[in-house]
Order: sequence, then structure tokens, then C-alpha cells
Amino acid sequence: MAAGFKTAEPLEYHRSFLKENCRPDGRELSESRTTTLNIGSISTADGSALVKMGNTTIICGIKAELANPTVEAPGKGYIVPNVDLPPLCSSRFRPGPPGEQAQAASQFIADVIESSEVIKTEDLCIDRGKLCWVLYCDMMCLDYDGNILDACIIALLAALKNTQLPEVTINKETCAPEVNPEKRCGLHIHKHPVGASFCVFDDSILIVDPTAEEESLSTAQLTVVTDEEGRLCSLHKPGGTSLSGEKLQECISRATARQREIQKLIDKVIHSVKTAQ
Amino acid sequence: MTSSACDTASPRCSSMMEVCEASSVSLREFGCEQSLLSRPDGSSSFVQGDTSVMAGVYGPAEVKVSKEIYDRATLEVLVQPKVGLPSVRERSQEQCVRETCEASLLLSLHPRSALTLVLQVLHDDGSLLSCCLNAACMALMDAGLPMSCLFCGVTCAINTEGEIITDPTAAQEKESRALMTFAIDSTERRVMMSSTKGSFSVHELQQCIAVSQEASEKIFQFYRDSVKRRYSKTP
Amino acid sequence: MPVDTKRVRGPEVSQSPSLFLGRPVAVLPSSGPRADGRQRDQVDVRPVFVRCGLVSQAKGSAYIEAGNTKLMCCVYGPRETERKDETDMKCGRLTTDMRFAPFSCPERGSWIQGSQDKDFSLMLHESLQPAVCLHKYPRSQIEVNVMVLENSGSVLAHAITCASLALADAGIEMYDLVLGCSIRQDGASYVVDPSYMEENYSSSASSENQGGLTVAFLPSLNQISGLQSDGEMTEEILTAGVRTCIEGCYKLYPVIQQALAKAVRKAAPPPSES
Repeated sequence: MAAGFKTAEPLEYHRSFLKENCRPDGRELSESRTTTLNIGSISTADGSALVKMGNTTIICGIKAELANPTVEAPGKGYIVPNVDLPPLCSSRFRPGPPGEQAQAASQFIADVIESSEVIKTEDLCIDRGKLCWVLYCDMMCLDYDGNILDACIIALLAALKNTQLPEVTINKETCAPEVNPEKRCGLHIHKHPVGASFCVFDDSILIVDPTAEEESLSTAQLTVVTDEEGRLCSLHKPGGTSLSGEKLQECISRATARQREIQKLIDKVIHSVKTAQ
Repeated sequence: MTSSACDTASPRCSSMMEVCEASSVSLREFGCEQSLLSRPDGSSSFVQGDTSVMAGVYGPAEVKVSKEIYDRATLEVLVQPKVGLPSVRERSQEQCVRETCEASLLLSLHPRSALTLVLQVLHDDGSLLSCCLNAACMALMDAGLPMSCLFCGVTCAINTEGEIITDPTAAQEKESRALMTFAIDSTERRVMMSSTKGSFSVHELQQCIAVSQEASEKIFQFYRDSVKRRYSKTP
Repeated sequence: MPVDTKRVRGPEVSQSPSLFLGRPVAVLPSSGPRADGRQRDQVDVRPVFVRCGLVSQAKGSAYIEAGNTKLMCCVYGPRETERKDETDMKCGRLTTDMRFAPFSCPERGSWIQGSQDKDFSLMLHESLQPAVCLHKYPRSQIEVNVMVLENSGSVLAHAITCASLALADAGIEMYDLVLGCSIRQDGASYVVDPSYMEENYSSSASSENQGGLTVAFLPSLNQISGLQSDGEMTEEILTAGVRTCIEGCYKLYPVIQQALAKAVRKAAPPPSES
């Protein structure tokens, strides 16, 4: 009976739960799903992390390559983030080039990296004007159940913290770079941006960490990214119904709380990986 | 077809600029022309300083089966850059404009049909996204599509001294440490869309929203004046 | 030059740091024990870890890990065919898509599907199709998506195993499971379930009998559904290789059966005693 109601009237089904201040999966309105993190599981990548938020699964692998810096910015390296939503992760995605959602997510992640200065591109410079690192940060969704932006940011941050770059020296005589894979060092992470996403139901009810179904039924979505100092790195609301100042404030305070929670989780996992080695 | 609500060079608009200067928020000189294209069902060109965007709306028309939504119209937004092919950045702008339009349009009045909004960037001198939003709103109005409210876009930049500059130029954008674009609705003056760059404090965000809401008054007044002028001309 | 406008672009050219190592790449010897301690010339497959039903959105899914090779498969469908022009509507369609994550190989791969991926997709399709009762699904299509997360050799063989497990998990009617196993022939000796290094960097002095072989096998029907070989091998070596692969498949079989039984038990728990 309940299953039939859910299929026939999904919006009414959700409303009947929201009226009682809870959600179909048993969560409260302001409750996030359990987040689990696995770091360094891909040995072919220079840094990797797998994040699970409820069912949503994102894997991020970082590959570092060498390139020439641009003429306009000789002292800077590159960070190239891309989000992929392959047909594997949900039946809503078709094979082929990335769709609008994947492209908008890639741009969002690129903006977050730039705004938060999680990594300064100056740190990626090896030899000014001649050689620099390119960090290809590829985030791939393996299971799409909503809120991929939050999961992508966590996966990216954890993978960056896991990244170990080999030492590169420039040979004085040949001017060719020499790579020493035995001697590796980590990246300097300046900030820890973490996102918190929200959905607006019926123009007024705010829910945290939406699932795919909740996202498709909502009237607006909103992602707030904050760093450890409580500064906002991004307030991303791509349209939808309007939101009052008080609601916005509520979202921001939730986001700062979430930032602390996730940073603690990342530190804990990294620590446990280190002690295990 | 009546055209020209306000041309940038016309004395009408310069009188509006005086209003702008009197208030605390200053916008660059802005103007709009509606129904300037004959092929689309609605069109507009919006100019903010040297930034200029042309918009065309087609529809409601027949929809592709794969994109059909059974209870409302499908809106498609295309942003064409001045040179080159649209890239990931344009796609993100398209998403922002599309979802803002979807929220203000009464799409359920045209189920199983398609609406297409094409935004052609003519020149980018800062505040591009807000100009796109304004052009889009004027074009939708020109097409006579039913809407629950109007919206306008306002861009604010916070420079290194911490001052808030509304409607920044490209040079000002470059020097700023944070850049925010909001879409404000006309009924309750609330934030419909927000897109930011750079890091900023909560207080700065609130200030920028307040400034944008103030600036939106002017734009909505301009919308009202231009529509009034347009319909008073027709016999 | 065509540019990818649908992704964030980096610099036009970049090189892998492994090109500047300053010392030659070690060539694996063709005799003696293998790098990971396994036995040469014996059916010594890597221990596998398999799990069903990890992806909530898919009809059926499976994850397989053999050594460092990690891949994942999701099955969607049966659903309405997209291509209505297909003449044969009495039979269902099986579509396969196999992709490598950009970070899956030692050298970064492109997002755009290369010819190797397409070859693998086709091979996967040919190996799976004989096992699926497609006539039970008229006018519909079943989608098999494989994603290689880490490539440490024998990808195709494991992809076949993983895909058949995902199909079974999705409840698609099949005649039998399909198991994959591959060997690498190197002169007179061979290695079963080769690693990435063994696949790409092994070469012995003799140029004869060099090649790789992958067999897809239906264990309870005792039939071969797919066979792919490259390189040059004599007939005797090839037939011996096929036998070795079949033996390798039988070693895998109980593990796969257990994983499947576990998934079924989880989906429909046996009625309690009380």
C-alpha cells in the first residue's frame, strides 16, 4: 500500500512525512546521512578518497603531471577538477559526454577551489616559467542518491590531503627534469572547505542533505561552503524559489557545524591511515 | 511592434542616472530594448555600462519526446559567449538562469511544450550574469509568458578595502576579493539565485544582500517604467 | 584541433612524471617467482573479493577486487529499447559499456572513451550474450555498465565475472554464470591472472609464443562463450592455455557462488523458525 502511494503520489508521500517533522528514510529534517571515508584506496593515483554519504558514493582520484606554466601566470600550476556522472551511477544519466549537471558541478568545484584557496596554485610551481605540476582531480560518482556536491568536496579535500608528489629536480646541464619517486611529500592544504546542501520543500520547509528523490521533488536547492575560520567560500543557489534572510542564516550556521564535523572525520581517517602504516 | 523602452543615450535614461546617484547604491547606466528581433516570440537587449546581452525567447512550441515533462513546459537556456564555443562556465550560467526562470514562470500552464531562451553575449565588461538575468526577464515579459513574479540580477563586488561596489566593471571584478551575483524577486525582494566567488564573512554577505535588494528597487522601477512607456505609446 | 568544451580544461600538453625517472624501466624476468609471490606455470589466481548489490540506484550491481584490480559493474533494465528501428523485436537487447576511470592506470587516461575501451565493451558483450536468456525480454534492453577503478591487470577477465554477477544480482534470467580468466604466455612459461606489469613489461629473449589469452567460461554448462587472444602462439600452447584458463575459472567459481548466495539471502531472508 505504502509503496503504491509512494510511486503514484511521490510529493504527497513526502509531504505526509514532513508534516510530522521527519523524512521517509527515518531522518529528522536537519539530520545528515552517515558519512564514511576511505582514503588512499587507489594505488595508481597520486591521491585518492572514497566518500559515502548514505547511498551516494563519490570516488576522487588525483593524478599529477608535469607541464609548462602559462605565459600570463609563470609562477602558477594548474588544478583541473572534473566531475563525472557516468551511466553506471544512476539510470537518469546517458552514456556520452557529460551533461549539464556534471558540467555545472565541475564548474562549481573549480570555483570552490579558487575561492577557498584550498591549495595555492603558486605551490605547484617547480621552476618559474618553465615547469609546474598539473593536478587532475577526477571525481566520479558511483552511486547517485542526491547531494553530490557535498560528497565531491569531501572526496576532493580528502584526496588532496592524501596526495603525495614525487620530488622533482632540474638537471643543471640538460635542463631536463628528474623525478625521484622514492622521495615524496604531501601538499600544503591552506583551507578546509566543506559544503552543506539543502533542499526547500513547498517554498518553506528546509531539509538537510537531500536524497535524489527529495532533490527532484524540491522547489529549490542551496549549497553553502564554509572553511574552518567560518568564512563563506560559496553560496550557491542556482535559482528555484526565493529564500528569506532568516532561513539563509539557518543554513549558514548548519554549514559551519557540518564543516567542523567533516574536518574531524577527515583528520581521524588520515590519522588512522598513518598509524596503520 | 513597439520598441525601445530606454536607450542608453536617450535623455530619459540620463535622468534615471540622476536618481541612481542620489541613492547610496550606484549602478552603471543601464537600458533595455524589447521586441527588437522579428523571428523570436520575445526578445530584448539589456545594456549595463559596456556589458551587453541580447536575449530571444521561442515558445511555447512542440517539445522533443525525450525532453517532454507531462505536467509542465520544458525550459531550455542557451548562453552563447561573444567568441568561441560555450564551455563549462557558460553551462553553469545556463543552469543559474534556467532555474531562476523556472521558478518565476508559471510553466504548468503549458504542459508538454518547449520554451527556449537564447542569451547572446555581445560584450562583457563585468556583471555578466546579472545582465543575462535582466535580459532574460525582459525577453520573457516581451514574449508574454505568464509569470508569478519578475526577477532581476545584481552583482556586488567587495574590493580589498572592504567596500561594496554594485554592478562592477570587469576591471573592478578583477581587483575584488569577493564577487556575488543575486537574483531578487519582485514580490518579496528575496534571494532567488545566488552565485559567489571568493571568500567572505557572513556579515559581508548580509550587507551585499541588503545592497542588492536596494539596487533591485531601481531595476524593478525601470522595468515598470519601460513597460508603461511601451504600452502607453500603442494606441 | 578539437577541444573538449564540456569539461574543465587544463594545459594543452602535460607529461607523466614517470617519463623523467632517469633510469630504465625494469623488465620483468621470464623465469623465477613472480613479483607478488605467486607461482609461475601454475593455476595461481589472485584471491578475489566480491560483493553484490552495493549500488542503491541500480537493478543489480557487483564489485570485484583481485589483487589491486578493482572494478564495479551496474546493471539497469530491462527497460524499453531506445532504438526502435531494430528489426528483431522478439529478442531483448544487451548493451555493454566498459570504461576506465582516468586515474585507473599508471598513466592518466583521457575521459573520452578510447578504442581500447570500445574493444573491451564489445568483447564483454560477446562473452555475456550467450549466457543471458534474451528471448525472455522482448522489446526491451538490459544495460551493463562496467567501471574500472584500478587497473592491475586481467581487467577483461574480471569484468566478465563481475558483469555476470551483477546480471544475476539484477534477477536477469540466465543459463549460467560467466566466469573470466586470463593468462599471459611468455615463451615456454605462462602466468595466470597476470598483473599490469606482467601484461605490459614482460619480454623474454625468445620471440615465439608471446601473447595473452582471455577465456569466458560457463562453468555448469562447461561451455566457452568468449575467447580473446593476441600475440602469436602455436596451436598446442593455445589449447593448453585454454585449459589452464578453464581451471582458473573453476577456482573462482565457489567464491562467486558464495557471494551470490549471500546477496540472495540478504534480499530474501529465510523464514525464521519461530
